[in-house]
Amino acid sequence: MDVNIIYNVEHEMPLGMAIALYFYLTGLSAGSFIISTFAYGFGMTKYKPLGKIGVVMATLLLVIAPIILLVDLEQPLRFWHLIIYLRITSPITWGTFLLSLYPMNCIVYGYFMFMGDMKKTKIFGLIGIPLALLVHGYTGFILALGKARVLWNTAIMPPIFLVSAMVSGLAMMILVVIIKDYFVQRNKERNPDLIYDLAKLLAASIVLDLILIGIDLSVLLTSHTEAYKAAVMLLAGEFALPFLGIEVLLGAVIPLILILSPFTKRWIPALALASVLVMIGILAMRYIMVVGGLSIPLS
Amino acid sequence: MVVDLRRCIGCHSCSVACKAENRVPLGVFRSWVKIIEKGTYPNITRHFLPSLCNQCDHPPCVINCPVQATWRQEDGIVIIDEHRCIGCKYCLASCPYNARYINPLLPIVQKCYFCYHRVYAGLEPACVEVCPAKARIFGDLNNPEEEVAKLLSKHPFQTLKPEMGTYPQVYYIAADADAMDPFAGRKEWM
Repeated sequence: MDVNIIYNVEHEMPLGMAIALYFYLTGLSAGSFIISTFAYGFGMTKYKPLGKIGVVMATLLLVIAPIILLVDLEQPLRFWHLIIYLRITSPITWGTFLLSLYPMNCIVYGYFMFMGDMKKTKIFGLIGIPLALLVHGYTGFILALGKARVLWNTAIMPPIFLVSAMVSGLAMMILVVIIKDYFVQRNKERNPDLIYDLAKLLAASIVLDLILIGIDLSVLLTSHTEAYKAAVMLLAGEFALPFLGIEVLLGAVIPLILILSPFTKRWIPALALASVLVMIGILAMRYIMVVGGLSIPLS
Repeated sequence: MVVDLRRCIGCHSCSVACKAENRVPLGVFRSWVKIIEKGTYPNITRHFLPSLCNQCDHPPCVINCPVQATWRQEDGIVIIDEHRCIGCKYCLASCPYNARYINPLLPIVQKCYFCYHRVYAGLEPACVEVCPAKARIFGDLNNPEEEVAKLLSKHPFQTLKPEMGTYPQVYYIAADADAMDPFAGRKEWM
Protein backbone atom coordinates (compact mmCIF):
# COMPACT_ATOMS: atom_id res chain seq x y z
CA MET A 1 0.00 0.00 0.00
CA ASP A 2 1.17 3.47 -0.81
CA VAL A 3 2.19 5.37 2.34
CA ASN A 4 3.38 8.97 2.31
CA ILE A 5 4.65 11.00 5.24
CA ILE A 6 2.97 14.42 5.10
CA TYR A 7 4.48 15.92 8.22
CA ASN A 8 7.02 14.75 10.77
CA VAL A 9 9.70 16.21 13.00
CA GLU A 10 13.24 14.92 13.06
CA HIS A 11 15.65 16.55 15.44
CA GLU A 12 19.19 17.31 14.42
CA MET A 13 21.73 14.48 14.65
CA PRO A 14 23.21 14.79 18.15
CA LEU A 15 26.71 13.40 17.57
CA GLY A 16 28.90 13.64 14.51
CA MET A 17 32.40 13.72 13.08
CA ALA A 18 33.93 15.06 16.32
CA ILE A 19 32.87 11.96 18.26
CA ALA A 20 33.99 9.69 15.40
CA LEU A 21 37.40 11.42 15.48
CA TYR A 22 37.55 11.00 19.26
CA PHE A 23 36.91 7.25 18.94
CA TYR A 24 39.60 7.11 16.25
CA LEU A 25 42.22 8.87 18.39
CA THR A 26 41.58 6.76 21.53
CA GLY A 27 41.83 3.69 19.30
CA LEU A 28 45.21 4.81 17.94
CA SER A 29 46.38 5.58 21.47
CA ALA A 30 45.32 2.24 22.91
CA GLY A 31 46.86 0.40 19.95
CA SER A 32 50.21 2.15 20.20
CA PHE A 33 50.35 1.71 23.98
CA ILE A 34 49.85 -2.04 23.67
CA ILE A 35 52.54 -2.26 20.98
CA SER A 36 54.85 -0.31 23.27
CA THR A 37 54.39 -2.90 26.02
CA PHE A 38 55.43 -5.78 23.72
CA ALA A 39 59.05 -5.05 24.58
CA TYR A 40 58.87 -3.37 27.98
CA GLY A 41 56.03 -5.37 29.51
CA PHE A 42 56.41 -8.80 27.93
CA GLY A 43 60.11 -8.73 27.09
CA MET A 44 59.82 -9.31 23.31
CA THR A 45 63.15 -7.64 22.56
CA LYS A 46 62.67 -7.37 18.79
CA TYR A 47 59.97 -4.74 19.42
CA LYS A 48 62.25 -2.68 21.67
CA PRO A 49 62.62 0.24 19.20
CA LEU A 50 58.83 0.74 19.43
CA GLY A 51 58.67 1.12 23.20
CA LYS A 52 59.52 4.79 23.47
CA ILE A 53 57.73 5.95 20.31
CA GLY A 54 54.68 3.95 21.34
CA VAL A 55 54.32 5.54 24.75
CA VAL A 56 54.94 9.07 23.42
CA MET A 57 52.29 8.62 20.72
CA ALA A 58 49.84 7.05 23.19
CA THR A 59 50.18 9.96 25.62
CA LEU A 60 50.00 12.69 22.97
CA LEU A 61 46.90 11.20 21.34
CA LEU A 62 45.19 10.77 24.70
CA VAL A 63 45.84 14.43 25.48
CA ILE A 64 44.21 15.57 22.22
CA ALA A 65 41.25 13.13 22.32
CA PRO A 66 39.46 14.43 25.48
CA ILE A 67 39.86 18.02 24.21
CA ILE A 68 37.69 17.04 21.23
CA LEU A 69 35.13 15.64 23.68
CA LEU A 70 35.13 18.85 25.71
CA VAL A 71 34.67 21.00 22.60
CA ASP A 72 31.75 18.81 21.55
CA LEU A 73 29.92 19.44 24.84
CA GLU A 74 27.22 22.08 24.66
CA GLN A 75 28.39 23.39 28.06
CA PRO A 76 32.16 22.72 28.14
CA LEU A 77 32.65 24.77 31.32
CA ARG A 78 30.44 22.34 33.24
CA PHE A 79 32.80 19.41 32.57
CA TRP A 80 33.49 19.10 36.32
CA HIS A 81 29.90 17.89 36.79
CA LEU A 82 31.19 14.60 35.35
CA ILE A 83 33.30 14.06 38.46
CA ILE A 84 30.92 15.48 41.08
CA TYR A 85 27.56 14.09 39.91
CA LEU A 86 28.63 10.84 38.31
CA ARG A 87 26.10 8.14 37.48
CA ILE A 88 27.71 4.73 37.50
CA THR A 89 25.35 3.16 34.95
CA SER A 90 26.50 5.56 32.23
CA PRO A 91 29.50 4.51 30.13
CA ILE A 92 30.51 8.18 29.92
CA THR A 93 31.11 8.07 33.69
CA TRP A 94 33.36 5.05 33.24
CA GLY A 95 35.16 7.09 30.58
CA THR A 96 35.64 10.04 32.92
CA PHE A 97 37.82 7.93 35.19
CA LEU A 98 39.51 5.89 32.48
CA LEU A 99 40.43 9.03 30.54
CA SER A 100 42.03 10.42 33.71
CA LEU A 101 43.84 7.28 34.89
CA TYR A 102 45.12 6.06 31.54
CA PRO A 103 47.14 9.15 30.49
CA MET A 104 48.56 9.43 34.03
CA ASN A 105 49.70 5.82 33.85
CA CYS A 106 51.14 6.49 30.36
CA ILE A 107 53.19 9.38 31.71
CA VAL A 108 54.52 7.38 34.69
CA TYR A 109 55.30 4.40 32.44
CA GLY A 110 57.04 6.68 29.93
CA TYR A 111 58.99 8.43 32.70
CA PHE A 112 60.44 5.18 34.04
CA MET A 113 61.18 4.02 30.50
CA PHE A 114 63.19 7.12 29.66
CA MET A 115 64.90 6.94 33.09
CA GLY A 116 65.90 3.36 32.29
CA ASP A 117 64.23 1.75 35.32
CA MET A 118 63.18 -1.48 33.61
CA LYS A 119 61.49 -3.08 36.62
CA LYS A 120 59.11 -0.20 37.26
CA THR A 121 58.55 0.25 33.51
CA LYS A 122 57.37 -3.35 33.36
CA ILE A 123 55.00 -2.90 36.32
CA PHE A 124 53.37 0.22 34.89
CA GLY A 125 53.30 -1.29 31.41
CA LEU A 126 51.35 -4.28 32.72
CA ILE A 127 48.97 -1.99 34.69
CA GLY A 128 48.50 0.01 31.51
CA ILE A 129 47.36 -2.90 29.33
CA PRO A 130 43.94 -3.39 31.00
CA LEU A 131 43.59 0.41 31.17
CA ALA A 132 44.33 0.75 27.45
CA LEU A 133 41.85 -2.02 26.65
CA LEU A 134 39.20 -0.44 28.88
CA VAL A 135 39.74 3.09 27.61
CA HIS A 136 38.97 1.93 24.15
CA GLY A 137 36.52 -0.80 25.10
CA TYR A 138 34.35 1.73 26.90
CA THR A 139 33.92 3.72 23.66
CA GLY A 140 32.42 0.53 22.22
CA PHE A 141 30.09 0.44 25.22
CA ILE A 142 29.04 4.05 24.60
CA LEU A 143 27.65 2.89 21.28
CA ALA A 144 26.44 -0.53 22.44
CA LEU A 145 24.40 0.93 25.34
CA GLY A 146 22.76 3.58 23.15
CA LYS A 147 19.92 1.17 22.72
CA ALA A 148 17.74 3.36 20.52
CA ARG A 149 20.17 2.93 17.61
CA VAL A 150 20.01 -0.49 16.06
CA LEU A 151 23.43 -0.31 14.42
CA TRP A 152 25.07 0.35 17.81
CA ASN A 153 23.10 -1.88 20.13
CA THR A 154 25.00 -5.15 19.59
CA ALA A 155 27.20 -7.10 21.99
CA ILE A 156 29.91 -7.25 19.35
CA MET A 157 30.48 -3.48 19.35
CA PRO A 158 33.17 -3.40 22.15
CA PRO A 159 35.22 -6.25 20.59
CA ILE A 160 34.98 -4.63 17.13
CA PHE A 161 36.28 -1.40 18.62
CA LEU A 162 39.15 -3.17 20.39
CA VAL A 163 40.25 -5.06 17.29
CA SER A 164 39.99 -2.00 15.05
CA ALA A 165 42.04 -0.08 17.65
CA MET A 166 44.76 -2.71 17.29
CA VAL A 167 44.53 -2.50 13.48
CA SER A 168 44.87 1.28 13.35
CA GLY A 169 47.54 1.31 16.09
CA LEU A 170 49.70 -1.20 14.21
CA ALA A 171 49.29 0.72 10.95
CA MET A 172 50.34 3.94 12.66
CA MET A 173 53.38 2.22 14.22
CA ILE A 174 54.49 0.92 10.80
CA LEU A 175 54.27 4.44 9.41
CA VAL A 176 56.15 5.86 12.40
CA VAL A 177 58.95 3.32 12.03
CA ILE A 178 59.18 3.96 8.27
CA ILE A 179 59.33 7.72 8.82
CA LYS A 180 61.95 7.28 11.53
CA ASP A 181 64.16 4.88 9.56
CA TYR A 182 63.92 6.44 6.11
CA PHE A 183 63.43 10.16 6.75
CA VAL A 184 64.44 11.30 10.25
CA GLN A 185 67.43 9.08 11.06
CA ARG A 186 68.57 8.26 7.53
CA ASN A 187 72.20 7.69 8.51
CA LYS A 188 71.50 5.17 11.25
CA GLU A 189 71.14 1.45 10.76
CA ARG A 190 67.75 0.46 9.32
CA ASN A 191 65.61 -2.32 10.68
CA PRO A 192 63.27 -3.62 7.94
CA ASP A 193 62.65 -6.90 9.80
CA LEU A 194 60.75 -4.99 12.47
CA ILE A 195 58.48 -3.51 9.78
CA TYR A 196 57.88 -6.96 8.26
CA ASP A 197 56.97 -8.37 11.69
CA LEU A 198 54.55 -5.51 12.36
CA ALA A 199 53.02 -6.00 8.91
CA LYS A 200 52.37 -9.67 9.74
CA LEU A 201 50.63 -8.67 12.96
CA LEU A 202 48.66 -6.05 11.03
CA ALA A 203 47.48 -8.67 8.52
CA ALA A 204 46.31 -10.93 11.34
CA SER A 205 44.41 -8.08 13.01
CA ILE A 206 42.77 -7.06 9.72
CA VAL A 207 41.56 -10.63 9.20
CA LEU A 208 40.13 -10.69 12.74
CA ASP A 209 38.48 -7.31 12.15
CA LEU A 210 36.90 -8.54 8.90
CA ILE A 211 35.60 -11.66 10.66
CA LEU A 212 33.96 -9.54 13.38
CA ILE A 213 32.41 -7.21 10.78
CA GLY A 214 31.09 -10.27 8.95
CA ILE A 215 29.54 -11.65 12.16
CA ASP A 216 27.95 -8.28 12.92
CA LEU A 217 26.49 -7.98 9.41
CA SER A 218 25.16 -11.54 9.25
CA VAL A 219 23.33 -11.13 12.55
CA LEU A 220 21.94 -7.74 11.53
CA LEU A 221 20.72 -9.19 8.23
CA THR A 222 18.79 -12.01 9.91
CA SER A 223 17.54 -10.08 12.97
CA HIS A 224 14.40 -7.93 13.29
CA THR A 225 13.20 -5.47 10.63
CA GLU A 226 15.06 -2.42 11.86
CA ALA A 227 18.35 -4.36 12.08
CA TYR A 228 17.84 -5.72 8.57
CA LYS A 229 17.30 -2.17 7.30
CA ALA A 230 20.50 -1.02 9.01
CA ALA A 231 22.42 -3.83 7.29
CA VAL A 232 20.90 -2.93 3.92
CA MET A 233 21.89 0.71 4.56
CA LEU A 234 25.52 -0.46 4.84
CA LEU A 235 25.41 -2.84 1.90
CA ALA A 236 23.25 -1.05 -0.65
CA GLY A 237 22.01 2.21 0.83
CA GLU A 238 23.40 5.59 1.73
CA PHE A 239 26.52 4.23 3.45
CA ALA A 240 27.38 1.53 0.89
CA LEU A 241 30.23 3.57 -0.64
CA PRO A 242 31.96 4.46 2.65
CA PHE A 243 31.37 0.97 4.04
CA LEU A 244 32.09 -1.36 1.12
CA GLY A 245 34.33 1.01 -0.82
CA ILE A 246 36.45 2.69 1.86
CA GLU A 247 36.19 0.59 5.03
CA VAL A 248 36.22 -2.89 3.51
CA LEU A 249 37.92 -2.58 0.10
CA LEU A 250 40.42 0.28 0.59
CA GLY A 251 40.84 -0.15 4.33
CA ALA A 252 41.08 -3.93 4.64
CA VAL A 253 41.17 -5.98 1.41
CA ILE A 254 43.74 -3.97 -0.57
CA PRO A 255 46.13 -3.59 2.43
CA LEU A 256 45.78 -7.33 3.08
CA ILE A 257 46.78 -8.07 -0.54
CA LEU A 258 49.71 -5.62 -0.32
CA ILE A 259 50.98 -7.21 2.92
CA LEU A 260 50.52 -10.84 1.91
CA SER A 261 51.36 -10.88 -1.80
CA PRO A 262 54.93 -12.16 -2.40
CA PHE A 263 55.66 -9.27 -4.81
CA THR A 264 55.02 -6.46 -2.31
CA LYS A 265 55.48 -7.92 1.17
CA ARG A 266 59.18 -6.99 1.31
CA TRP A 267 58.72 -3.64 -0.47
CA ILE A 268 58.59 -0.77 2.02
CA PRO A 269 56.57 1.73 -0.10
CA ALA A 270 53.82 -0.88 -0.53
CA LEU A 271 53.70 -1.47 3.22
CA ALA A 272 53.58 2.30 3.80
CA LEU A 273 50.68 2.57 1.36
CA ALA A 274 48.91 -0.35 3.06
CA SER A 275 49.27 1.37 6.45
CA VAL A 276 47.92 4.68 5.15
CA LEU A 277 44.92 2.89 3.60
CA VAL A 278 44.25 0.99 6.83
CA MET A 279 44.27 4.23 8.83
CA ILE A 280 41.81 5.82 6.39
CA GLY A 281 39.65 2.69 6.51
CA ILE A 282 39.40 2.70 10.30
CA LEU A 283 38.54 6.42 10.33
CA ALA A 284 35.78 5.60 7.84
CA MET A 285 34.61 2.78 10.14
CA ARG A 286 34.29 5.21 13.08
CA TYR A 287 32.40 7.66 10.89
CA ILE A 288 30.01 5.00 9.54
CA MET A 289 29.30 3.68 13.04
CA VAL A 290 28.56 7.09 14.59
CA VAL A 291 26.86 8.96 11.74
CA GLY A 292 25.35 5.89 10.04
CA GLY A 293 23.91 4.67 13.33
CA LEU A 294 22.33 8.06 14.00
CA SER A 295 20.90 8.44 10.50
CA ILE A 296 18.41 5.58 10.98
CA PRO A 297 15.02 7.28 11.55
CA LEU A 298 13.28 6.97 14.94
CA SER A 299 9.94 8.71 14.48
CA MET B 1 -1.41 10.42 29.10
CA VAL B 2 -3.85 8.81 26.69
CA VAL B 3 -4.08 9.99 23.08
CA ASP B 4 -7.39 8.92 21.56
CA LEU B 5 -6.76 8.96 17.81
CA ARG B 6 -10.41 8.37 17.00
CA ARG B 7 -10.84 11.99 18.08
CA CYS B 8 -7.64 13.60 16.69
CA ILE B 9 -8.28 15.95 13.75
CA GLY B 10 -4.63 16.78 13.04
CA CYS B 11 -4.97 20.51 13.71
CA HIS B 12 -1.52 20.95 15.37
CA SER B 13 -3.06 22.97 18.21
CA CYS B 14 -1.10 20.88 20.72
CA SER B 15 2.20 21.64 18.94
CA VAL B 16 1.45 25.37 18.95
CA ALA B 17 0.27 25.46 22.58
CA CYS B 18 3.40 23.58 23.65
CA LYS B 19 5.64 26.01 21.79
CA ALA B 20 3.96 28.99 23.45
CA GLU B 21 3.73 27.51 26.95
CA ASN B 22 7.31 26.26 27.13
CA ARG B 23 8.98 28.87 24.90
CA VAL B 24 10.35 26.20 22.57
CA PRO B 25 12.72 27.83 20.04
CA LEU B 26 12.41 27.64 16.26
CA GLY B 27 13.45 24.39 14.65
CA VAL B 28 12.81 22.08 17.63
CA PHE B 29 9.64 20.57 19.11
CA ARG B 30 8.58 19.01 22.40
CA SER B 31 5.33 17.80 20.89
CA TRP B 32 4.40 17.44 17.25
CA VAL B 33 1.83 15.62 15.13
CA LYS B 34 3.17 13.16 12.59
CA ILE B 35 0.79 12.89 9.62
CA ILE B 36 0.77 10.14 7.02
CA GLU B 37 -1.45 9.46 4.04
CA LYS B 38 -2.05 5.95 2.77
CA GLY B 39 -3.86 4.24 -0.05
CA THR B 40 -4.59 5.34 -3.61
CA TYR B 41 -7.38 7.64 -4.69
CA PRO B 42 -10.32 7.25 -4.02
CA ASN B 43 -9.50 4.83 -1.19
CA ILE B 44 -7.24 7.07 0.80
CA THR B 45 -6.99 7.98 4.48
CA ARG B 46 -4.93 10.27 6.62
CA HIS B 47 -3.59 9.18 10.01
CA PHE B 48 -2.16 11.26 12.82
CA LEU B 49 0.32 10.47 15.57
CA PRO B 50 0.75 13.18 18.21
CA SER B 51 4.31 12.57 19.46
CA LEU B 52 5.95 13.64 22.69
CA CYS B 53 8.23 12.33 25.43
CA ASN B 54 6.80 9.01 26.62
CA GLN B 55 7.92 9.56 30.26
CA CYS B 56 9.16 5.95 30.24
CA ASP B 57 9.10 3.90 33.41
CA HIS B 58 12.52 2.52 32.42
CA PRO B 59 14.04 5.51 30.62
CA PRO B 60 17.30 4.84 28.74
CA CYS B 61 18.12 8.57 28.83
CA VAL B 62 18.24 8.46 32.64
CA ILE B 63 20.41 5.34 32.70
CA ASN B 64 22.89 6.90 30.28
CA CYS B 65 23.09 10.47 31.61
CA PRO B 66 26.61 10.75 33.10
CA VAL B 67 25.84 13.68 35.46
CA GLN B 68 22.43 12.72 36.93
CA ALA B 69 20.93 15.73 35.17
CA THR B 70 17.79 13.80 34.26
CA TRP B 71 15.75 11.46 36.44
CA ARG B 72 12.32 9.90 36.87
CA GLN B 73 10.32 11.40 39.73
CA GLU B 74 8.05 9.50 42.11
CA ASP B 75 5.02 10.64 40.11
CA GLY B 76 6.51 9.17 36.92
CA ILE B 77 7.52 12.36 35.13
CA VAL B 78 11.07 12.34 33.72
CA ILE B 79 12.63 15.77 34.22
CA ILE B 80 15.89 17.55 33.40
CA ASP B 81 17.95 19.77 35.69
CA GLU B 82 18.91 22.52 33.25
CA HIS B 83 21.70 23.75 35.50
CA ARG B 84 23.37 20.41 35.72
CA CYS B 85 23.15 19.25 32.08
CA ILE B 86 26.54 19.45 30.35
CA GLY B 87 25.12 18.89 26.87
CA CYS B 88 26.96 15.68 26.05
CA LYS B 89 23.93 14.65 23.95
CA TYR B 90 24.19 10.98 24.94
CA CYS B 91 20.53 11.08 26.06
CA LEU B 92 19.54 12.27 22.58
CA ALA B 93 21.35 9.27 21.14
CA SER B 94 19.73 6.90 23.67
CA CYS B 95 16.09 8.04 23.32
CA PRO B 96 14.14 5.69 21.02
CA TYR B 97 11.42 8.31 20.49
CA ASN B 98 13.37 11.30 19.16
CA ALA B 99 11.83 13.28 22.05
CA ARG B 100 14.87 15.25 23.18
CA TYR B 101 16.55 18.19 21.51
CA ILE B 102 19.27 20.76 22.13
CA ASN B 103 17.83 24.18 22.86
CA PRO B 104 19.95 26.27 20.47
CA LEU B 105 19.63 29.36 22.68
CA LEU B 106 20.80 28.01 26.03
CA PRO B 107 22.33 25.47 24.91
CA ILE B 108 21.26 22.44 26.94
CA VAL B 109 19.00 19.42 26.43
CA GLN B 110 15.23 19.85 26.82
CA LYS B 111 12.13 17.76 26.30
CA CYS B 112 8.44 17.49 27.25
CA TYR B 113 7.82 17.05 30.99
CA PHE B 114 4.01 16.95 30.87
CA CYS B 115 4.00 20.69 31.79
CA TYR B 116 4.68 19.77 35.44
CA HIS B 117 4.64 23.46 36.40
CA ARG B 118 0.97 23.50 35.35
CA VAL B 119 0.12 20.05 36.71
CA TYR B 120 1.50 20.89 40.18
CA ALA B 121 -0.63 24.07 40.13
CA GLY B 122 -3.75 21.99 39.50
CA LEU B 123 -3.97 22.65 35.76
CA GLU B 124 -3.73 20.27 32.81
CA PRO B 125 -0.74 20.22 30.45
CA ALA B 126 -1.02 22.92 27.74
CA CYS B 127 -1.49 20.43 24.90
CA VAL B 128 -4.31 18.66 26.79
CA GLU B 129 -6.10 21.88 27.68
CA VAL B 130 -5.94 23.28 24.16
CA CYS B 131 -6.99 20.16 22.20
CA PRO B 132 -10.32 21.12 20.58
CA ALA B 133 -11.32 17.49 19.97
CA LYS B 134 -10.36 16.33 23.49
CA ALA B 135 -8.10 13.71 21.94
CA ARG B 136 -5.48 14.05 24.69
CA ILE B 137 -6.46 12.96 28.18
CA PHE B 138 -4.11 13.45 31.12
CA GLY B 139 -4.33 11.80 34.52
CA ASP B 140 -3.08 9.24 37.02
CA LEU B 141 -3.35 5.68 35.71
CA ASN B 142 -3.13 4.27 39.24
CA ASN B 143 -6.41 5.93 40.21
CA PRO B 144 -9.29 3.82 38.79
CA GLU B 145 -11.66 6.81 38.98
CA GLU B 146 -9.61 8.86 36.50
CA GLU B 147 -10.68 9.02 32.86
CA VAL B 148 -7.32 7.68 31.58
CA ALA B 149 -7.74 4.50 33.64
CA LYS B 150 -11.34 4.06 32.46
CA LEU B 151 -10.36 4.56 28.80
CA LEU B 152 -7.51 2.08 28.94
CA SER B 153 -9.60 -0.53 30.70
CA LYS B 154 -12.32 -0.22 28.07
CA HIS B 155 -10.40 0.08 24.78
CA PRO B 156 -7.52 -1.71 23.06
CA PHE B 157 -4.46 0.52 23.14
CA GLN B 158 -0.92 0.69 21.76
CA THR B 159 2.39 2.12 22.93
CA LEU B 160 5.37 3.14 20.80
CA LYS B 161 8.22 0.62 20.48
CA PRO B 162 7.24 -1.65 23.38
CA GLU B 163 10.10 -3.95 22.31
CA MET B 164 12.60 -1.41 23.69
CA GLY B 165 11.59 -2.33 27.23
CA THR B 166 11.12 1.32 28.17
CA TYR B 167 7.50 0.98 29.42
CA PRO B 168 6.29 4.19 27.76
CA GLN B 169 3.54 6.09 29.60
CA VAL B 170 1.87 7.68 26.59
CA TYR B 171 -0.90 5.33 25.43
CA TYR B 172 -2.53 5.52 22.02
CA ILE B 173 -6.06 4.36 21.24
CA ALA B 174 -6.63 3.43 17.58
CA ALA B 175 -3.14 4.39 16.40
CA ASP B 176 -2.22 3.36 12.87
CA ALA B 177 0.64 0.87 12.54
CA ASP B 178 2.11 2.73 9.57
CA ALA B 179 2.05 6.01 11.47
CA MET B 180 3.89 4.33 14.35
CA ASP B 181 6.47 2.73 12.04
CA PRO B 182 9.46 5.07 11.51
CA PHE B 183 10.25 3.43 8.16
CA ALA B 184 6.79 3.44 6.57
CA GLY B 185 6.58 5.99 3.80
CA ARG B 186 10.34 6.44 3.50
CA LYS B 187 11.08 5.26 -0.02
CA GLU B 188 14.85 5.24 0.54
CA TRP B 189 14.42 2.73 3.41
CA MET B 190 12.05 0.30 1.68
